[in-house]
Amino acid sequence: MKHTYTPAQIIANFLKWILLLSLLAVALLPLLWLLVSSLRTNLELQTNPFGWPEKMQWVNYTKALAMASLPRLLLNSAVVAASSVILNSAVTAMASFILARERFRGRDVLYTLFTAGVLVPVISFMVPYFSLITKSGLYNTLLALVLVYTAVNIPVSIFLVTAFMKSIPRELEEASVIDGCGFFKRFSVIILPLSRSGLVTAATFCFIYSWNEFLMAMLLTSSIESRTIQLGIKFFTSQFITDYASMYAAVIITIIPSIVGYVFLHDKIIGGLTAGGVKG
Amino acid sequence: MQAVGTHRSRVWTARVLFLLPVSVLFFFFFIYPFLFTIYTSFTSWRGIGSMKFNGLANYAKLLGDPTFRKALGNNVVWALSQGFIQVPLACLIAMILVRKPRFWRSLRTIYYLPNVISTVALAMVWVAIYNVEGPLNAILGALFGAEKRNWLGNPDTALFAVIFQTVIYIGYFMIILLASAMNIPRSLYEAAEIDGASTFQQELNITLPMLRGSLITTMTLAMAYGMRHFESTFLMTGGGPAYATTTMGIDLYLKMDALRYSEASTAGVFLILMGTVVITVLRKIFGSSDPMSEMAQ
Repeated sequence: MKHTYTPAQIIANFLKWILLLSLLAVALLPLLWLLVSSLRTNLELQTNPFGWPEKMQWVNYTKALAMASLPRLLLNSAVVAASSVILNSAVTAMASFILARERFRGRDVLYTLFTAGVLVPVISFMVPYFSLITKSGLYNTLLALVLVYTAVNIPVSIFLVTAFMKSIPRELEEASVIDGCGFFKRFSVIILPLSRSGLVTAATFCFIYSWNEFLMAMLLTSSIESRTIQLGIKFFTSQFITDYASMYAAVIITIIPSIVGYVFLHDKIIGGLTAGGVKG
Repeated sequence: MQAVGTHRSRVWTARVLFLLPVSVLFFFFFIYPFLFTIYTSFTSWRGIGSMKFNGLANYAKLLGDPTFRKALGNNVVWALSQGFIQVPLACLIAMILVRKPRFWRSLRTIYYLPNVISTVALAMVWVAIYNVEGPLNAILGALFGAEKRNWLGNPDTALFAVIFQTVIYIGYFMIILLASAMNIPRSLYEAAEIDGASTFQQELNITLPMLRGSLITTMTLAMAYGMRHFESTFLMTGGGPAYATTTMGIDLYLKMDALRYSEASTAGVFLILMGTVVITVLRKIFGSSDPMSEMAQ
């Protein structure tokens, strides 16, 4: 240290850490409280909202998983999220390839139109989505949710993947054309493998959205065969009406995929967010 | 000539084929719903039967509806609190983290974490936290001997309670602002340092002006989200008690649930309109920025 700290700097430093740590508490404590509560007994929960479990109640988790519908709801959510991610990645990779690497009139208009989709609040489309899905005979099917989630994520994915594909140097593609690569080869051999990172970012956002989505799932499905886990913990937990500890265990089970995904992919997520932010 | 012609048309066929899936999905889930919402807002349609045109009747009815007016007012409170409390707080955190204090990377990662957790799960936790016998009252009682409150059940505190919990999502705006702050050239600060400017003066005269664009962007985002807020309130209070926390989105849902489809569409038009108003007004006040590309996040 070249200079000693003035009292003002010490106070500023202290306030800075107070702020950083309070926000840390706000971000983490609700989740930690949920985790700890899921391992306590109902009696412990009732007598004191805080406190460590006397003995870890892993039985809460067994009880939650034994709830008839939970495994089915988890499976439905997994199928819907995986299908949405695959479908969304496939269609946006194709469209972004054209929007980023081909030159033709109307390209920028099309790109603006697709990405402008984010400006529209999707919740204002409750009536048309319901009407569309009912009329097409898809009401109460997993396919309905897959289509909606795939479509709703198109603006974000197009934005991220097109930006990524645009950053690939043109020389790489030109060299391949000289080597005799046609349209499809340019896409599948050159651009697609080089865009993997951008595609993973878009897929991560799509997965988080699809796994966590609540409103459209509530609107478009009605029975256990096609409902997702988010609806499950909102509605089907009525079985747990007096067993809060098991209910919290069920909630912890449902957020594990998001946490695990975040642990492995947080760099992609933060990178994706800043891809737009730096330009501002 | 012949060869070039077929080659061209082959390229065009391929381009169209590649754009087709996205275009079809975009048409059915963005363009058609948009037109459908506007169209049905001018009709008296209840889900079945023909759509009869009834002019501005739904608009007159909606504007005279005390529930919808309450919802609109609440959305304005939401938008203002997100734009003028959430974003400045996020900016303050970003200004601290950009100076890379210890653990800044881990802090950045953890601050964003709540954004990937489902609203259903977090709403359930907040309902428990706000419960009369819950942790919040226990803390306030122990610290200040405060009386136990029914935070979500009392119309006086419910709106405050549902808005306060959004502080956990601050990491989203913070990350955008931080990325932008990291792009400010170090040389500006070094020059200021030589001129004897204090840290506070540097923040005020360098960081804030340089963050202007990102601040406008995040404020636009925050306020637009305030206008379209639905999920956590719906899950925590359902819009109650006595419509104290209702929003336009919840009003739309309840109208649809009551099969008042065209009135629900009219509420939808307002939702779209208010988002547009936020973006236009902020652009007018603060000048141009490009919120559209940012909204894609």
